[in-house]
Amino acid sequence: MKIKIFNREICVCALLATNSICAKSSAEMGKTVRGRIWLYYGRKIFNFLVSMLFLSVAVFFVARLAPGDPLRSYYGDRVEKMSPEERERAEERLGLKEPVLTQYIRWLEHALQGDFGISYKYKRNVSEVIGARLGNTLMLGGISLALILILAPGLGIWCAWHEDKWQDRLVCRAGTVLSCIPEFWLSLVLVFIFAVSLRWLPGSGACSPGREDDISDRIQHLILPLAVAVTNHLWYYAYMIRNRILEEARAEYVLLARSKGLSKRTVFFRHCLRNVLPVYLGLMAISVPHILGGTYIVEMVFSYPGIGTLAYESVQYQDYNMLMLLSMFSGILVMTCSAISRTINAWIDPGMKNTENVLDGR
Amino acid sequence: MESLLEIRDLSVSFDTSQGELKALRNVNLSLYPGEVLALVGESGCGKSVLCKTIMKLLPENARIKNGRILAAGKDITDYREKEMERLRGRLFSMVFQNPMTVLNPAVSVGEQIGEAVRVRYPKMKREEVLKRVLELMDLTGIPEAEKRCKMYPCHFSGGMRQRSVMAIALACDPGILLADEPTTALDVTVQAQILDLLLMIQKKLKTATLLVSHDLSVVARVADRIAVMYAGKIIETGTSEDIFYDPRHPYTRGLLRSLPFFAEKGEELYTIPGMPPSLTRLPRGDAFACRNEYALAIDYEKEPPMFRISDTHYAATWLLDPRAPSMENISLAWPDMLSGNRPEGGGENSV
Repeated sequence: MKIKIFNREICVCALLATNSICAKSSAEMGKTVRGRIWLYYGRKIFNFLVSMLFLSVAVFFVARLAPGDPLRSYYGDRVEKMSPEERERAEERLGLKEPVLTQYIRWLEHALQGDFGISYKYKRNVSEVIGARLGNTLMLGGISLALILILAPGLGIWCAWHEDKWQDRLVCRAGTVLSCIPEFWLSLVLVFIFAVSLRWLPGSGACSPGREDDISDRIQHLILPLAVAVTNHLWYYAYMIRNRILEEARAEYVLLARSKGLSKRTVFFRHCLRNVLPVYLGLMAISVPHILGGTYIVEMVFSYPGIGTLAYESVQYQDYNMLMLLSMFSGILVMTCSAISRTINAWIDPGMKNTENVLDGR
Repeated sequence: MESLLEIRDLSVSFDTSQGELKALRNVNLSLYPGEVLALVGESGCGKSVLCKTIMKLLPENARIKNGRILAAGKDITDYREKEMERLRGRLFSMVFQNPMTVLNPAVSVGEQIGEAVRVRYPKMKREEVLKRVLELMDLTGIPEAEKRCKMYPCHFSGGMRQRSVMAIALACDPGILLADEPTTALDVTVQAQILDLLLMIQKKLKTATLLVSHDLSVVARVADRIAVMYAGKIIETGTSEDIFYDPRHPYTRGLLRSLPFFAEKGEELYTIPGMPPSLTRLPRGDAFACRNEYALAIDYEKEPPMFRISDTHYAATWLLDPRAPSMENISLAWPDMLSGNRPEGGGENSV
């Protein structure tokens, strides 16, 4: 018990320490250049930790307060035949009898030591279960992300260049319609057409049973989920890029560039696109969690054994520990990506670089 | 003398949701080699549209209804984009009103000037382009050119940016410089510097300049000739002398009278009553009639033609018709300072 109290103090101390370092650094370290950089990163890290803390609190309590029976995921249908005494013992064993706050603090203590508990459903360490499925999701999400990163700017640039001509109008309309179709419905239609009627492609899973190492088989299984994930997000990003380019094409510097004798094409590709680049990179960094998150539903419909399916199950079966780790994982992903996007923007945009120079004490 | 740029009977309209907007109506203008022609008028009277029409940089809803544009003896009215690209930068280039927005924020200033140099000399080597860029920056008075050409517009002040824009405009030694309110967006102290620079460069390079401005005091310092514009029409043209000491159109007089320089201490500043008419619904007759203290009945019926006062001086007002009442009676409301004794030189008019 003493050790536990000690741990609790450690995590509180860790947070307080970061806080006090920040306060201290703003007073003392702020004077030197190096100090300012430390202050900058210290603040970033402090914000990150606080955000994660809030996220974990929110998910933990909301999950506990939601109706449902966590014992069902652990014991399955046996729960219905359990006597009240048995139930009580089971709940005590899983630590569900204590007040929610105590449960949360215990979870936090263990989590800080890298122990995220066991999955009620799989009766194994959650990190183990997730680790086994992570590869599948990264494959699906990564490939769809890469496709979108390449296709979206291409499509956006093409539309902007043909602004208001029939090509642009056609793509705009088709894109809007496609991106409005719900993912699950599109998935079902594709499964119906290509898997059930035509029998060209498999309609579910990540690979055929017994052919885990067959790459062509895996690719075949990926085609339909990929098609859904890409069509659903592609237009959103392509349209954003298109509009951003058009905004640039109406900027006043275009007039000056053309008045000095540059052709429309040169101005478009050399001047306008360069201004869109930071926006694109920023957008792409933020799109990572968006697109990876988007694969959750696709995974569900295609019964693709990835993290999405796990997340869905963990909510459905009140698999608290699983849900917590997946939420924290998403949180880290979102925050890291937005930090990256901000760094990229500051790095590329000379205007923002200027403010950084101020930070460097120039 | 052969004119470098001639605009004959030019009308430009915009198609807007409120109907046809007549931005330019039958404009006639000639620009001679080596001179500074100032185009003066209120905001929205069509000055910038005229510049953009010459450069063919109008938005897509604008069209030239009639008239011709002759540049260096060639009729360029029907030139297409490709042919215009060959003229822009070389035959004419433009300095814009707002230096804060006309430079591309993501491209270094040196590169933006260099691009303009390359338009004329596409095969020039890197070092030569850089040399020319530094030369241009030097010409337009940008100190520490070598360091600054690597910087981005956000590192430049408004005046420095306008100097860079001028360096870009001058990169290909254009025959004609269209300066669209080059000082309007700047601080008053910087305005004078930029104006001096413009004048100095104009003297040095002998570039024919069309200086657009709404500020008569700016114009007084630099212009050889002045054209006054109102509601898309040129209503009076003449040499600086003609316009400043012998203005004939009531609008020109109103403009001059409203200069703070002529105000008496303790009196309110003079303003021309009313507002310019909407260009989508122009009134019948003279567009200025309803603001004109001396409007004649015919002003509400028929647009006045250009009356000749001297070889250089023309004005479009019915007051100059031989049948109109004599101007003597009209000058009652005219400040003494302007009517009789001329001060020496035009420079004093600048405020």
